[in-house]
Amino acid sequence: MAENVIGTDISPPDLRAKITGRARYAEDFRAEGMVFAKLLLSPMPHARVRSVDTSAAEAMEGVLGILRASEMPVQAEGLGEGALTDEPLYEGEPILAVAAVDETIAAAAVEAIRVEFEQLPFVLDPLESLREGGPDARLDGNVGGRGEALTIKWPDSVFDEAGPDRLPMGEPAAEWAIGDVDAAFAEAEVIVEETIVHQSVTHHPMEPRSCMAYWQNGKLFLHGSTQSTERSRGSVARMAGVEADDVVFIGEYCGGGFGSKISGTPNMAIPAVMSRKIGRPVMLRITRYEENYIGRARAGFQGWAKIGLRSDGRMTALDLYLVQDGGPYGRASDFSTAGTVATAIYQPENMRFRGVPVYTNTPPRSAQRAPGGAQIVAMLEPLVDKAARELGVDRLEVRKINAPGHDGWLGENKAPFTSAYVREALDLGGELFNWEEKKQLSGQRNGSKVTGVGMGLSPFTAGSAGRDGLLVIRPDGKLHVHQGIGNLGTHSIADTARPAADVLDLSWDDVVIVWGDTSKHLPFSTVQAGSQTTHAHTRANHAAATAMVGLLQELAAQELGGSPSDYRVADGRVFRASNPAAGMDFAQAARRAMALGGKFSGEQFPEDLNDATKAAVAGLAGEGLIAAARDNYARAGAVFTWVATFAQVELDVETGEVEIVDLASTADCGTVMHPRSLAAQTNGGVFQGIGMAKSQRWVFDPKWGIPFTKRFYTARPPGILDVPRSPRFAAVNQPDPHTPVGAKGIGEPPVGAGEAAYACAVADAMGGLCLCRTPLTSDMILAELEGRPRPYGLLDTHV
Amino acid sequence: MEFLRRALNPWGEDVPIGVSWDLIWAAVIIGAIFVVGHALMVPKKVATGEIDEDEARGLPEKLQRHTPGARGFHWSMSIAMFALLITAFFPVVGIQFPWVTIHWIAGVLLILTVIYHIYHVFAKQDFWTMWIDRRDIAEGKQGLKAALGRPEGKRPRSGKYPVDQKMFHHAAMVVTLGAVVTGVLMMFRIENFLLPMNTYLFSDAAWGWVYVIHGVSGIGLIFLVIAHVYFAIRPEKRWMTWSMINGWIDRDRYLENHDPERWVVPEQGSAAELEASGGGGGQAAVSDRVRGEGP
Amino acid sequence: MAVIRDMIPPFELFQPAGVDDAVRLMEEHGDQGWVLAGGLDTFDWFKDRIKRPSAVIDLGGVDELRGISAGADGGFAIGAMTSLTTVAESADVMSAYPLLATAAVTVATPQIRNQGTLGGNIVQDTRCWYYRSGWPCYRAGGNICYAGTSRSMNREHCIMGASRCVAVNPSDTAPALVALDAEMVVASTSGERTYAATDFFIGPDLDIERMTVIEPGDLLTQIRLPAPWSGARHYFEKVRDRKSWDFSLASVASMLNVEGGVIRDARLVVNGIAPYPVRMGAAEAAVRGREPSDETGQMAGEIAVEGSRALRHNDYKIALTRNLVKRAIRDAA
Repeated sequence: MAENVIGTDISPPDLRAKITGRARYAEDFRAEGMVFAKLLLSPMPHARVRSVDTSAAEAMEGVLGILRASEMPVQAEGLGEGALTDEPLYEGEPILAVAAVDETIAAAAVEAIRVEFEQLPFVLDPLESLREGGPDARLDGNVGGRGEALTIKWPDSVFDEAGPDRLPMGEPAAEWAIGDVDAAFAEAEVIVEETIVHQSVTHHPMEPRSCMAYWQNGKLFLHGSTQSTERSRGSVARMAGVEADDVVFIGEYCGGGFGSKISGTPNMAIPAVMSRKIGRPVMLRITRYEENYIGRARAGFQGWAKIGLRSDGRMTALDLYLVQDGGPYGRASDFSTAGTVATAIYQPENMRFRGVPVYTNTPPRSAQRAPGGAQIVAMLEPLVDKAARELGVDRLEVRKINAPGHDGWLGENKAPFTSAYVREALDLGGELFNWEEKKQLSGQRNGSKVTGVGMGLSPFTAGSAGRDGLLVIRPDGKLHVHQGIGNLGTHSIADTARPAADVLDLSWDDVVIVWGDTSKHLPFSTVQAGSQTTHAHTRANHAAATAMVGLLQELAAQELGGSPSDYRVADGRVFRASNPAAGMDFAQAARRAMALGGKFSGEQFPEDLNDATKAAVAGLAGEGLIAAARDNYARAGAVFTWVATFAQVELDVETGEVEIVDLASTADCGTVMHPRSLAAQTNGGVFQGIGMAKSQRWVFDPKWGIPFTKRFYTARPPGILDVPRSPRFAAVNQPDPHTPVGAKGIGEPPVGAGEAAYACAVADAMGGLCLCRTPLTSDMILAELEGRPRPYGLLDTHV
Repeated sequence: MEFLRRALNPWGEDVPIGVSWDLIWAAVIIGAIFVVGHALMVPKKVATGEIDEDEARGLPEKLQRHTPGARGFHWSMSIAMFALLITAFFPVVGIQFPWVTIHWIAGVLLILTVIYHIYHVFAKQDFWTMWIDRRDIAEGKQGLKAALGRPEGKRPRSGKYPVDQKMFHHAAMVVTLGAVVTGVLMMFRIENFLLPMNTYLFSDAAWGWVYVIHGVSGIGLIFLVIAHVYFAIRPEKRWMTWSMINGWIDRDRYLENHDPERWVVPEQGSAAELEASGGGGGQAAVSDRVRGEGP
Repeated sequence: MAVIRDMIPPFELFQPAGVDDAVRLMEEHGDQGWVLAGGLDTFDWFKDRIKRPSAVIDLGGVDELRGISAGADGGFAIGAMTSLTTVAESADVMSAYPLLATAAVTVATPQIRNQGTLGGNIVQDTRCWYYRSGWPCYRAGGNICYAGTSRSMNREHCIMGASRCVAVNPSDTAPALVALDAEMVVASTSGERTYAATDFFIGPDLDIERMTVIEPGDLLTQIRLPAPWSGARHYFEKVRDRKSWDFSLASVASMLNVEGGVIRDARLVVNGIAPYPVRMGAAEAAVRGREPSDETGQMAGEIAVEGSRALRHNDYKIALTRNLVKRAIRDAA
């Protein structure tokens, strides 16, 4: 019997290469005759290209081609974004690309190009755009609608009534309600309300979105940095104007995505199209500077919330208004997700949600690790603390009172959850952190330092279903798990293969993971977003492994007699349960399958597979014993994970600096697949959230519309010294009953938990005073403590 | 040599940011060439006519040429001007010291003196004293020929102010006003207690031209100051320089250089009275009224 | 002209083996020459193609600029090319000038301290992000300070010492060196000059395009430290947004000569609040003869911030400076 691999620590197959530097990222590849491209970026936050003079650049020796927006298969149309544009909507948006034999020449050529721009009105602050006569970020409107831009302007009276310190709340673009929120407030014991700002932040993955492309016999080969391998092929094909079958996408390693590289990135079109144009492989190395512009960002909110608690601590009313800073393209759905996620924290008996997603001339938004979720958790949790204080209820207790149970519900339609061990997670966290003792430290002063403790509870979506698994036992006797999912650095590339090993009772050493190159015949997968992967692909690989067991049993019965049910699979063999010596090992099974053909070797396959999987199976046919299956396991309800983070901080009242002295997190994320990796993912997310709460900034000059936080050192994501040396973690480890493996995703919920725990702990150190803003930097804290003028207005954003 | 300093503004637009500092040296060199050329080419003493005793009759020994107010203006302006030029250009050429505060305060002093001067001109003096008319042009032509050693008969006598002085005045007025107006605007870009900071009062390009005009004016003043000082110390002009110090000129100088028809000195008072009144003090013995020079 | 960033343009590299060669090369290339020490300031400028010298004079091979040596007067001399790690970990520095060792270890990250030099840390250019963005501000030869307007993002900028430009000095070791009465030795082809640390750093009122007396052709060769005050107390603190890889919002360095429970002499220097490390002379005078107590610290802090003026977003620096000066008296050990 092989040891069960689920729940143990393993070294993922990519680890050694990453640590030793042998891992090759997109930028590390070279192709025969490869040349380099450089981008010309818009110097203005909103403009129109009037004329372009490339003559000097074209005259330079070594310059091979210039690519303009008009040559791109995908243009900036409607709300959509092109890889290049003649109407830049943010400073730094790529206008054109130059290819040259080396980067030095390409850069010099870009510098030699003269572009004449017509300057257009621009806006950085959503509220400014909502004013009558305020500038619009786009020529077709200022608010994101479904498929088209809307124009929403609020009368001056809305702003006048609100004054400078309260969110003006005019006509929203989206609105829903549960129950009667006004009536509930009338009966609430405690009501608190605040205007809250959560800033936009850029993603800053370590690996910028460099990519290299070449064409061979009509096929596009593209090396890129992506979160999702199989699902990137289609988007790259669309960008390049070809069929998905004509794209080979290679991306074995991804130096961080956080939602910014879900399925390919728009800039991948540039080397693809340039390469086709000039007939040479083209490398587009994206610099840190460029990554800051095209690398996506989290949508920010200027919000207002009002909560009402009943005397027993139950949240009876929640009223929420969010003005979203959504960048210039598409329609970031953070604000609407935020409304939904709020219900998964507090299950408010009555709730009203209103929101308006406003366009701004700042770099484009995309999902960022718990999009909408992290923001709303960080915004609301300090408010709940404030209400609990007023009510005299323990802050942990108030979360438990309001947390969903298994009968909990999600969103305006009150969808059920597959499982919700939230109270268990809170209890576990209370123990791990020692909440009862730690909360006694609240407000204690030691010299200039004041202790604060706080916690945050953060839910987020954690799984999808219906994907495909594809397994091959090759004549080497190894189980090859073909993963269409990307290797975005979370270990899910390996961890989701574990159920296959366990179902087949196979040693982990005999499992080979195949990933990172669509020419390697990869099955249909989820996108690696929304923390879906672990849930979805443990299911898919479980399904495929179950199918593989069936095939092995059938093959054995066919070869060795008896019925399939007489056979067992374990330790790389299929054998008679009654006589383990009678059987064959996987290598023999593979060879037999290749000889037998048909359903054993991929010539036949289940009809319900996705076309992409069918093509993959067809491509592999004859190479071994092949099992492919769709995840058809029943599932009812939304899959959610909850993370609770507890923080103890010391606030220096003489400098405003905050040091986190203790940090503990717990999660209800179903069955633990990989303890070490789970703790790393959770703590990493918690740190990311702390960064947003504490130091990470995205500062623009309001006069010029240009950002300054283009480098790590100016953007200030947290460093390892900004968090405690040994953050603790524990998981509830209760299987989700709606999946055979029991696992739920973990990627996203920790972010909001860390962010909220920090914000609540700081507020606690300040005697319960909520400054209601992210990031809450030391200057703001010190100004407040010293009673000096606030560095920024309460609604100021991008500061 | 570039005339302007240019830069790309944050939006990548090519805008002027000021005048090229090379022009400082151009102004100094042109000034030097002018001085040397003039000194070599023009004889130190220009032949003058003889004194007509008839004209001299009844005139005091000393005639007031500059009132104390006018002299006060001239010298305070010159102090401010030197302070401005030194604070403006010494740091540019490498002699460094904290200059900004001195510069703007000197600028404010200059503005005050200019305001006083304008008031003085309109309220106390005749505006037309400085006006250049046809006689000035004729005088200028003859004077130039005389200076070049080709005298055309008798050298003409001027009104109260010779035409070259008038020309200097007008050139100085134009560049000073240019510097003053742009300087006032530039005070919106520095900390001072008179005007609020408003860095973005104008567009980049407009600001650029403000700096260019200020720079051109300043550099123009370098040349004018060189020329002015040069003439002030030339031997045949020293009586005028002295008059800017003590206020008066003697009768012979008056008759020698000035046309009594154009600069009318009423036959009242005497040198004694002038002395009594304080060496050309408040009881002006000489009228600034000018006959027949206005339109 | 379109802008390209993050790509170093070509230049000619010179690698002199001695100071004489270095200064000769510097003179030869004048404005077009650039001195490369640790490269942490340099390569940011080069990468952004904002400073584009044609000749780079790399001091990496000038061994005589490295090392810490005892001087005749009981002091020490530190070569300008000595790495910050070496300074921070030197037993001599730690015992004689713990203030400097403490300051050096707060610089950025271990990697940066390994690469960065003491000289480079002292002469580094300001981190004003308007200036660093290549905007044509005063410091870049233009006619505007983008950071000082009522709309500017100037949380990190000056509360004192501004003159048109409101950028601050970013060095962590500079305030310590001023507090230690260090001297900077500057070489050029015309010989060697020595400056007191207080005179070495200059403000924009004097020259808006430089932060120190160093001019093209000048090379900072050595930092001389006088014999330490015996039994002196010191204090260093750097306040920043992150604990690593961050420049200070404000930093304070103090040296207190305390005898019989009373401050006999003091040096109080604050950086990150002005274009140069500010020696708080009035506060130093005020604390002499007093106990190094909270009250004395409070008084010194109040004196230190007299005359300071906040920009749109940096009023907090006034309170921060006051509090840091207080701590530098009260908590000096």
